[in-house]
Amino acid sequence: MIFLPLILLFVGAAIGLAIHVGPLHGITGTYLAVACLAGLDTVCGGIRSGLEGKFSADVFLTGFISNVIIASFVAWLGDMIGIDLYVAVALVFAKRILDNLSLIRRFALTTYKDARERRRLKALVQPQSEGGQ
Amino acid sequence: MNPFVSRITNQSWVVPVSLMCLVLGLMFSMAWLRKENRVSRVPNLSSDQQKRYLELAADPDKYAQMSGQLQKLMSDKTRLENAVANQSGNAKVLNESLQDLKLFAGLTEVEGTGVIVTLRDFNKSQISSPFITDVDRTIHDGDVLKVVNELFASGAEAISVNNLRVTAMSSYRCVGTTILVNDVKIASPVKIRAIGEVDTLLGAMTLPGGELALIKQTDASMAAVESAKYLRLPAFTGSTSHRVAKVPKEAK
Repeated sequence: MIFLPLILLFVGAAIGLAIHVGPLHGITGTYLAVACLAGLDTVCGGIRSGLEGKFSADVFLTGFISNVIIASFVAWLGDMIGIDLYVAVALVFAKRILDNLSLIRRFALTTYKDARERRRLKALVQPQSEGGQ
Repeated sequence: MNPFVSRITNQSWVVPVSLMCLVLGLMFSMAWLRKENRVSRVPNLSSDQQKRYLELAADPDKYAQMSGQLQKLMSDKTRLENAVANQSGNAKVLNESLQDLKLFAGLTEVEGTGVIVTLRDFNKSQISSPFITDVDRTIHDGDVLKVVNELFASGAEAISVNNLRVTAMSSYRCVGTTILVNDVKIASPVKIRAIGEVDTLLGAMTLPGGELALIKQTDASMAAVESAKYLRLPAFTGSTSHRVAKVPKEAK
């Protein structure tokens, strides 16, 4: 179940290749690439908040759409005023993705360690209780 | 009270996140650098990325192209050998080989899909900027040369300038108010027709910072590009004789 997002990410890419919607040419492709980073950040944030038990579907969906639009808009604005703002957007989102991934990793590691410890304690307790009976 | 304070919720995150991942996958497939959009996307990358990408992508392509050419040459050789062995068929094979060479040299008519680039002088009396001089408002031989070069570089297989076929011997020169193409006078508007893969050619022509973009800096009406489903280009009609260059004996 937890791997469903990853599977659907590849399914989406496969659908895109199968129905020939892309690839985008020129600067439009660059804007979409920046938007992809924003989307990836939101998805990582969604997974993190889900694991932390703070997930809200409304916040996630609006966050995804607004982040994608804002990232593309800032990249476009940068082109209009002659500054490579898309690099700045890419940097910020890359940092956020790394932060989110590190938190997801820590959460997964803690869950795994907890489960192992619980099993160990259970194993210790069970023979004692069996011996007591 | 802080409205942004996190609240504990029990909503399932897997389904919404998965659905958005599907959309994200679709977006990635559209933004991915592929063979089709390489020409138009690579100039937007930083120089380091460009170098890495071109090193990565150019060699396998070149290898495939060379292998294809080698295979074609081998099969041509076989056909010619067969023709020599079987005297009745040799004229036909020689003729086919000759036709291929004529196509390559631009000595036959060709047809196919492509793009039409139109370059025209800017004749309006109102000048949009005081920095624009008369030189900027006119289409020069260099502009035609650069556009033709850019089209060839992006994979055009045959090009004509105002219905004059461009060959390996073509030249462009400004003489007064006209341009000489293959020593024939042409004037604005200059229509450059190119046969090739439409998307790639359009991508190369609409490139930010490309040759057309530079011409358009004076006025947008000076350059236009459109795709064409069917183009028929004439054959080169100039002289093909050589006075000085000769084929060396060992190459014959």
